[in-house]
Formats: sequence, C-alpha cells, structure tokens
Amino acid sequence: MALNQLNFSIENASPTVALGEAFHLGVVGSGDLEMIIESKEQGGAVSFQILSPVTGFDDLWKRVADAFVRESGLGNAHIEINDNNATPAVVMLRLRQALAEATAR
Amino acid sequence: MTKWTDLQSASFLESNARDRALGLVDEGSFTEFCGPMDRRPSPHLGVLGDAVEYDDGVVTGVGRIGETPVFVISQEGRFIGGAVGEVHGAKIVNTVRLAIEMLDAMVAKNPDTPEAHKPIVVFSFETGGVRLHEANAGLLAHAEFMDQVQKARGKVPVIAVIGSKVGCFGGMGFVAAAMDAIVMSEFGRLGLTGPEVIEQEMGREEFDSSDRGLVFRTTGAKHKYIMGDCNFLVKDSVAAFRAQIADLAVLPIADFEAMRRIGSEAAVDKQLALVALAVELQPKDSLDVWAHAGNEAPAELNDAPYEEFIAKAQRLAV
Amino acid sequence: MLQTKVNRSWENAKQDTAQRMEAASRFIGNGKQVKHEDTVALLEAVIRPYDIVNIEGNNQKQADFLAECLNKVDRGKIHDLHMVQSAVPLKAHLDLFENGIAKKLDFAFGGPQAGRVAEFIRDGKLELGAIHTYLELFGRYFLDLTPKVSLICAYKADRKGNLYTGFNTEDTPTIVEATKFRQGIVIAQVNEIVDELPRVDIPADWIDAVIESPRPFFLEPLFTRDPALVTDTQILLGMMCLKGIYGPYGVKRLNHGIGFLSTAIELMLPTYGEELGLKGKICTHMILNPHPTMIPAIESGWVETIHCFGGELGMDEYVASRPDIFFTGPDGTLRSNRAFAQTAGHYALDMFIGGTLQIDKYGNSSTATANRVAGFGGAPNMGCDAKGRRHVTESWLKCGQELPNREAIQGDMPRGRRLVVQGVETFGEGRAPVFVDKLDAWKLAENANLDLPPVMIYGDDLTHIVTEEGIAYLSRCPDLESRMAAIRGVAGYTEIGLQAKPEETKRLREAGIIMTPEDLGIDRSRANRSLLAAKNMQDLVTWSGGLYNPPARFRNW
Repeated sequence: MALNQLNFSIENASPTVALGEAFHLGVVGSGDLEMIIESKEQGGAVSFQILSPVTGFDDLWKRVADAFVRESGLGNAHIEINDNNATPAVVMLRLRQALAEATAR
Repeated sequence: MTKWTDLQSASFLESNARDRALGLVDEGSFTEFCGPMDRRPSPHLGVLGDAVEYDDGVVTGVGRIGETPVFVISQEGRFIGGAVGEVHGAKIVNTVRLAIEMLDAMVAKNPDTPEAHKPIVVFSFETGGVRLHEANAGLLAHAEFMDQVQKARGKVPVIAVIGSKVGCFGGMGFVAAAMDAIVMSEFGRLGLTGPEVIEQEMGREEFDSSDRGLVFRTTGAKHKYIMGDCNFLVKDSVAAFRAQIADLAVLPIADFEAMRRIGSEAAVDKQLALVALAVELQPKDSLDVWAHAGNEAPAELNDAPYEEFIAKAQRLAV
Repeated sequence: MLQTKVNRSWENAKQDTAQRMEAASRFIGNGKQVKHEDTVALLEAVIRPYDIVNIEGNNQKQADFLAECLNKVDRGKIHDLHMVQSAVPLKAHLDLFENGIAKKLDFAFGGPQAGRVAEFIRDGKLELGAIHTYLELFGRYFLDLTPKVSLICAYKADRKGNLYTGFNTEDTPTIVEATKFRQGIVIAQVNEIVDELPRVDIPADWIDAVIESPRPFFLEPLFTRDPALVTDTQILLGMMCLKGIYGPYGVKRLNHGIGFLSTAIELMLPTYGEELGLKGKICTHMILNPHPTMIPAIESGWVETIHCFGGELGMDEYVASRPDIFFTGPDGTLRSNRAFAQTAGHYALDMFIGGTLQIDKYGNSSTATANRVAGFGGAPNMGCDAKGRRHVTESWLKCGQELPNREAIQGDMPRGRRLVVQGVETFGEGRAPVFVDKLDAWKLAENANLDLPPVMIYGDDLTHIVTEEGIAYLSRCPDLESRMAAIRGVAGYTEIGLQAKPEETKRLREAGIIMTPEDLGIDRSRANRSLLAAKNMQDLVTWSGGLYNPPARFRNW
C-alpha cells in the first residue's frame, strides 16, 4: 500500500553534458510529476529515485530513463522524481525541460 | 522556468503556485521558505500509497513590492486539490508568524517605521480545505492559522487572493473570510461547503453541482463582489493582482479595519442585516439579490466582460 | 410465349399500412396529434411482430420518449422486432432486447450501451445483423433494411403536422424518406406544437402521427471540449500536425472529431498556424459539428465554410450569426444533415484526422475493447480513400504521388490519395500501450461471435501516425515491411516500439519517412498552453462576441 519506490542507475561511460546547480521542475498533478535534477559525481552514471503510487512499470521507467540518458549525453547526475501516474510522453517532456533549464543556468 | 516579465501578462488562473508566488512580488525578489529542495513531503501520504510533493502543495516565502516586504503563501490546486495537511499547514502558519516577528522587530528598532516598509502577508488560495488523509493535523493548522491572523490584526495586513481553478473552500473558506482584505478575479470562487457536498446533503433540486453556471453564480467572484464578501475584483492576470496588492501594501494598517468581514460590532450588525434581508427576500437565485442591489439586468451583467461588469455593477448596501 | 407475369396485388404494403393506420385512427386527432398518454396504445396499433423498426437517435438527439414507450408495449402483441438505427446510446434501446420486444439489431454506433450489446449477443438475447458505418446503414435503409415504422424526433410541429428539426436535423430526412416512400409509418415526438414553424424541415404529409412529448428530447453536448483540459503533450502533437502535415500538404478540406488533439489544433490555428503562415492555405472547408473550439479560427478568418453532421448545444446563436460560414435556412438557423455531411466526408475530404485506443504493428487501428461492441459511426468512411473519387485537390494528388514504387504497383496511371492520420500518445490512460501486437478487436470478435474483428481504420488506408516521438509518413513506404518499421520507429517505449532498430529508424529519418519534432524544427519547450488562442470556456464566449452560450456544466464564470 505504501508508495512504490524505485532506485536504479544508468551507466554512461562518456558523459557529454554536466549539470550546474540543482534544479526543480514540475507539479505532482494527476498524470504529471515533479523532479529534482542535480549533479553527483558517480563515475558517469545517472541515478534515479522514483516515488510513484503505481506499481508494475519498473521496466518502463528504466527504458525511458535509459533513452533519456542516451539522447542527452547526461552523466554524473542524480534525478529524483515524485510521480502521479505520468505517461512516458510526459516523463520524457519533463526530463527534457528540466535538463534544458538546468544546463542553461 | 517562466520569466518574470512573461508571468506578468500570464493568466492568473493558468499559473501554478510557484509562478504566482514569483509573479506577485518584484522581479528577482522572492526567496522561498522550505522549498522543494528541502524535501519536506507529507509523512502520511506516502504511507497510504498516495503521491507526494516535496513542497507538500504550498509555496511559501518572502519577496518585495517596492519597499514593502511581502510574505507570500501560494497553494497548488493540482496537488490533491490544494488540501491542507501537516507540513502544508506548518508552512502557512509559520509564514504569518515570521511576518509578525519581522514587524515587531522593525518597530522595536524604529517606532517610526514608514507604513510602506512594514511587511504584509499575501495568501493565494487554491484549496478545498482539510486534507482528509491527515485531517487532525490539517484541522489544527486551520486553527493555528486563525490564531496567527488574530495576532497579525492591527499590525500586519493579511490579504487573500483568489483566482485559481479549485477556488477556496472548506475550512479555508473561513480562513479567507477572517482575513483583512480579499482580492478575486472573476474565475475565483469562495465558499464553505463545496458544491458537490451541498448537493449530496441537500439534494439535487436544492443545488445541482453539475450546473457550473449555478455554482459560479453562487460562489463566484462576481457574486462575492456584489455581496461585499470580496473587496476587490481584478482582471485575470498576475499583473492585475500584483497591482492591487501594491495599492494595498502602502496603506496604513488602520485602513484595513473597514475592509474586514468579521471582528467588530459593525461587522456583526452588517451580517445580521444580511440575514434579515435573506429572510425578507427569500431569493431563489443569487441574481435575485443582484436585482435587489439595483442591478436591472442581472443575467446580462453576469455574462458581461470584466470592464463592463466593473463599470455597471451595483454592490449590495446593507 | 413464356408466361412470366405474376398475378398479384401491387399494393400490399400500402394496404397493410392502411389497415394499421385504421386501427390507430381512434388515437389520432386533428393535425395528426396523439396525446402522449396514448403513445403505447398507438405503437401497439401500428407495429406488428418481426417489423423492421427505426428509433431515431445518434450520438446527439434522441427520440427518447418513443423509445421508452416502445418498451411498454404488450410483448404478447409485439415481439421479435428488427431494429435498424444509427446508434443505441440509451438504456431504453437495449431494454427492448431484454424485454423480448426486439430480437435483431443493425446499427452503426453503440456508445454507452456498447457493453450490453456484447453481453446480449453472447447471451443470445440479441441477434446482430451487422455493424455499419452511418452511410452504409443509410444506404441499406433504401435497399434491404427499409423501416416499416420509424419513431423520429423534432423540435416543433405545427397544427398540420409539419416538422421543424432545425439545428439538429441530423438523420431525420434520411429516415423519413426511406420509410414514407416505401409506404411505411412515421411517428414523431416533438418538444412543442406551435401555430407557426420557423421553417418546414419535414412536410406534414410524410408524417403519420405527432406526439407532444412530456419533456424535451435528450441532447448531449458531445462536441464541446473545454480548452482548460488541453495538455502540453496534445499541444506538441498539434504543433507537429500543423508543421509536418497540414502545412506541407496544404490540407484545405477536412473533418475534425472530438479528440483533444483536434481541439488543440483548432485552438492553435490563430497562434501557431498564423506564425507558420498557413492562413488561407489550410482548414478552409470543413465537415464537422459546430465545435465551440472552432470559434477563434472562424473569427480570425481561417474558415470559409462548414457543413455539420448535427448541431451542438449553445452554438445556435453563433452559427445563425455566421451564415457565410454555416449552412443555414431561410429562417436563419442551421440545418445539419448527417447523410450529406458523411457523403462529403467520404468523397471530398483532403484529410481525416482522429485518435484511437490501439494501433497494431501493421497500422490497423480500433477503439474496440474485448467486451464492448461500439461500432465506429462515420470514421471508417472518412478514414479511407474513396475508391470512387475522381476529382483532384492539391493535397490528394501530392499524397498519391508519394508512394516510391507507385509505377511497380499501379503502372503509369497517376492516382491521388486521401491523408488518413492517427494522432496518439504512445501510452494512453493508466499507461496502457496504444501500440500493440494484436488488437483487442480480435478478442471482441471471439467474445461476441463476430465474423471479423471490428477495425476502425485499416492499416493500408492509414497514411500518417503522429506520436510524441515523431510522425511516421506511411504514405512514403513502399511495402508492408517498411510501414511496420516506420510504425515501430514512432511507437516509443511500447513493446512494439522497443523492437525498432536504431540504425533502421535512422535510415527512415534520413529518407523522410520518420520525422521527429527536432527534424521538423519544432522547439519542444514551446509546447505549452500559452499557444492556445482560448484557454477556457469564457475565452470562447469572448471570441464569439457573446454569441456562444455554453451549457451550464461547461461554464467557468
């Protein structure tokens, strides 16, 4: 019954994008999420912590996260997501928005 | 993040809690208290398996309008309807407390502090009241907040701002009514019992909550403006709300007494006169009261755009 | 000399109708009026077992009072009716089968009763004739499914029995013409009987009985979409459609349905569409219901003409005030007509754009779920290239010429092709994948004993798929294998999407068969509600100059 917590890391041997200061984005509305994205030295990897009321989508989260890391070249980062049943389209949209904001700083 | 200049022209109704907080004060002046980076979600929701938000659905902080320090509270309706839980409650209560402490410290240091330098509190409501998952803490927060509003009286103006999607209902409707001034846009709604609950308790014949026109005629800002429940009706933009707050920020504290709905013999007399009027008038619809207030074509007035409404509306005198 | 001439009466149908009307005559007064209390007795007098009966109703106006009365007839007298009707959205429509009054059903759209249709078929309570498109069913009214008795509805009748169907004329002329000109019986429920009608939509001598219903007929505001509910992802898809499809093909003649994607597109015409310089080049001629969200585009001069399947609550006055755009009568009010709008929809559109619950790996799409027999209304007619089309428009020609191996298949004869577009997010509600290996329609076919899985749009009719990942230009694919690769390439993180090979997708992007938002030059960060010309219902009213009057449940002031 408790909130479902998912932790995993996506390796990135050769990061091309690094973050500045930590950045927060989003609202935990229905079908949406908030995230904090911050730099964390961990051998190139991007670690994810996801809290979601919905279970059974662990693989989907990993697929989306993996695609995001590959597409963006982001490395050495930690991303925390508070989810309320966002679709992959929304997850990807918010990840891209957060990265754009966080690297623009 | 939306630029401050873009926020000014943005619809207040469309803006989320953080954008409202940022946009209501001067550019770059906002400092958030206990923001998402501090990671203070509700300790209760997660246990129940419900989604959490790091700021627990409310943005609190301080900024400036001109010379005036503005303590801001801004609720996020998209997160569980802006409902008040334990953390959310602690944040709103302590924001007012900080404003009072600041005022006290200022006056202790300089009894002649100009009015424009004294802090105000602005509360952008978007809530249905108590969060049922943590109802005891939520109710307690309502009481504590009321207590702070009483302590602020005559010292720090506490201004309600209502123009977001969820409106301001439940216990928070009481809280707003107890504040010094209320500013609404026409999309704002203010009430105690929510429309669905009234229908459930009184029946569909008494109140059809799916009739949104009826809901707005009863709880919406135009009606509240005519009734005197809200003091100011502004256009739906962040800039319009900000301009109204800027006007209020420089007023002497004594000027707020006349704007209040409760807390004086005069206010009680006015309420009693309203009850008597209701008995005499037996209105079937809010528009009956509008007509009594001297509005000849109330239905048309209800549909009129903002400028026309403000120019024509006759407010109820009791 | 062969003696083939039959010896028979040629007026059996006419005589049968005369007998029935004789039995009903004691209920029918001046001006063909029947008291509403006598309705059940009237129906018992004119309907016989095994009759083909039509109850007017589609997804909007409903002859609801007559449907309820038909349920009250003595089932000893009336049973085994064969119902032929556009839609069965009311409980009363299916109660007829539960009550043993009706046995067989031919229809086009199930709506909220779709679950019961499936259940009744399984339980043997309902014998399904076929699921049709609207046009297909209308055609059969004039061929092999002509109603003997039709129960229709209108706003008003005059004292002679002329009818005014006005804004919501919809199916009425088609039903009445098929029934009456084959010696059948037409019974109308009306909201009121008046001295003078605004105009005559159905002449009195085509009508046999008129009943002033105890309450107005039910009308659903089905095409009203609140701009406040449009999401960022829908806006992104809308930007892709405008920049990647509407603009490049010059889509002038089209239909929009009730999906929020088309709502987003409608609300972005005066903003993003204007910015792209598309005014006058797209969306000039439309076949759609009077969507309130079209108001900003109409008011800013995008649209030349709109013909409507039906009406929409609250749009009466606006439509009446824009007769250059809408089809209005001498009295000034709209006359909708589903048959004509669907005909235009089948033959004359440049493009159909819609949404769906599922798309399979071949591109077949369906809104069918395992336990609901819903039908697809008009979508299959609009969502295909009409084989009988002969006139040419720019976009039709352009799309037809895109097929790279056209000569290998068709020889040297030039052909055109309609754009048929599905716009979907890769995952729908509850993270249900839209792209699937096999449609649920297969399970439905099994559960409801259907001969074929109900497919809304066949894969080979589909020319474009738009998702948040990109646009698949299926019209540019030479064969099934490349179509499937293009579909995989925009299917995101669904099981189908995961089968995409990155190098293959890259090749398709280079060939212009897949275009991502980046390929199209779309800045994803602009995909937010600030692009909407109206953000809430009141904005629509403001755009309309106060002429649009939204139903109470949609008001936000």
